[in-house]
Amino acid sequence: MKWLWLALLLVLAPAAVAQEAAVAPPSLAAELSVNRVEVTTAFSGSEILVFGATERLIGPEGDEVVVLVTGPETSMIVRQKVSVMGFWINGASARFNRVPSYWALASTRPVPAMLDRVERSELRLGLDQLPLVQLGAQGPTFRLALADLQQDAGLWVDRDRPIQVSGGRLFHARLPLPATVAHGIYQVQVMLVRDRRVVARQELRLDVVRTGTAAWIADIAREQPVLYGIACIILAAMAGWIGSVVFRRN
Amino acid sequence: MQVYLPIAEMSVDALLLLGIGFGVGWLSGLFGVGGGFLLTPLLILIGIPSPVAVGSGANQTLGASVSGLIAQWRRGNVDVRMGTVLIIGGFFGSLAGVQLFAWLRRAGQVDLAVAIFYVVVLGGVGALMVRESVAAILRRKRSRPARLHEHLWMHGLPFKMRFRKSRLYISVIPPLGIGFAIGVLSAIMGVGGGFMLVPAMIYLLGMPTAVVIGTSLFQVVFVTANVTFLQAIQVGSVDIVLTLLLLAGGVSGAQFGAAMGTKLRGEEMRALLGALVLAVALSLLWDLLRVPEALFVIGPVP
Repeated sequence: MKWLWLALLLVLAPAAVAQEAAVAPPSLAAELSVNRVEVTTAFSGSEILVFGATERLIGPEGDEVVVLVTGPETSMIVRQKVSVMGFWINGASARFNRVPSYWALASTRPVPAMLDRVERSELRLGLDQLPLVQLGAQGPTFRLALADLQQDAGLWVDRDRPIQVSGGRLFHARLPLPATVAHGIYQVQVMLVRDRRVVARQELRLDVVRTGTAAWIADIAREQPVLYGIACIILAAMAGWIGSVVFRRN
Repeated sequence: MQVYLPIAEMSVDALLLLGIGFGVGWLSGLFGVGGGFLLTPLLILIGIPSPVAVGSGANQTLGASVSGLIAQWRRGNVDVRMGTVLIIGGFFGSLAGVQLFAWLRRAGQVDLAVAIFYVVVLGGVGALMVRESVAAILRRKRSRPARLHEHLWMHGLPFKMRFRKSRLYISVIPPLGIGFAIGVLSAIMGVGGGFMLVPAMIYLLGMPTAVVIGTSLFQVVFVTANVTFLQAIQVGSVDIVLTLLLLAGGVSGAQFGAAMGTKLRGEEMRALLGALVLAVALSLLWDLLRVPEALFVIGPVP
């Protein structure tokens, strides 16, 4: 598909110029290095590579680029540890709905410096802008703890992770995917910022899928738990028996 | 070499798992116990979620006990009748234990419950074993002949049954109760319960030492199979990839341990095992008491 588009562009672009049509060249073109990340039994994390080009030179005076990746939404529980008679146990808990299982932001310049607060919150560019639904215990500490722990786990990335620029107009961003990523559809938004406004936007889709033995085992365990339980018993017993035969000392 | 665990949904170093399996297998071969009481805390320590550590721990104990059971069966050291009574108790115990486990998970207290069970049970058993074996070592020097077995009040309860291989004629209520208790612990702690069953058989039931190990393995195999099954269908937390990696290390380690175990004397071995059990309990107690590194924890909605 990618190549088809490129070929079309190559064919159509000179034609458009020849006709002197008002079709402006796209101000932003972006693509992913892979559209599918496979989680196999040997999976130990990966990386999302977003690359593309802008119409004008990239810089504070010209175009600026923001890349936002969001993973499938989930629900999570944040529990506070409290000390009861000297023991640290789980105390109050807050449940968060619509939590992005993965969230990563990259930009050519820190986002607050290039966009106003209103626009940032509309586009949800920032961990503080996420529309999380908090149930149970209230208070901002739970939300902050969630953000801290997700960042520690590498599942939410909002550090100064600049986009690399080469040749003035080509950009690429590398975003880490840890081994614990959820599987599902990931949305990659590439935004072009000009004069403190988003003027162009491109949405890309990334599929994180469990494949091979890992997916097969997880599916059976979920859909056929009785069969899976029996299989676990037989496999473990067989492994123990084979082991005793192989390693028997005479 | 990293390997992705499909149920735990995380990737772990396969060599680390093989190493843990080997180490625990070596100790279990040395002391003649399943080693689940060491394995589950170690798995939790390396970051495996508690439910997966417990479910897979029980599954691994099943595999590790099978080879021991085969060896004991060949030597005729299994009292099948006593084992069956223990299993009936164990079956209901593990049923109740898995219900309790699922309830604790919903309440968000599974980590605490597992830790407290470990501290109390291992601390108690470890202290008793050390005390008993040290007393036995001291007594050996005086060499007083011991009786065949003590008759306790509970042996005289109704429903008496003859256990020919164990040379016992006692009520079935104590073995049923012991089986039930071990079943509950097995479901919550992910252990086979051999380290508790062996002393209970010797001191509470008065069984001869020769048939104790074989009969306890018999019970452990069936109870861990039941726990594996129930955990798989009720909690969905048995990771077969994790189990098989641990077993691969464990069965080889067990043979080395067993070879070394023949060189140690019974009392010294029990004292060492007791000290080990006590050390695990103390380290888990320390984890509960020290100020945690993170004051918040996150988890999926159960």
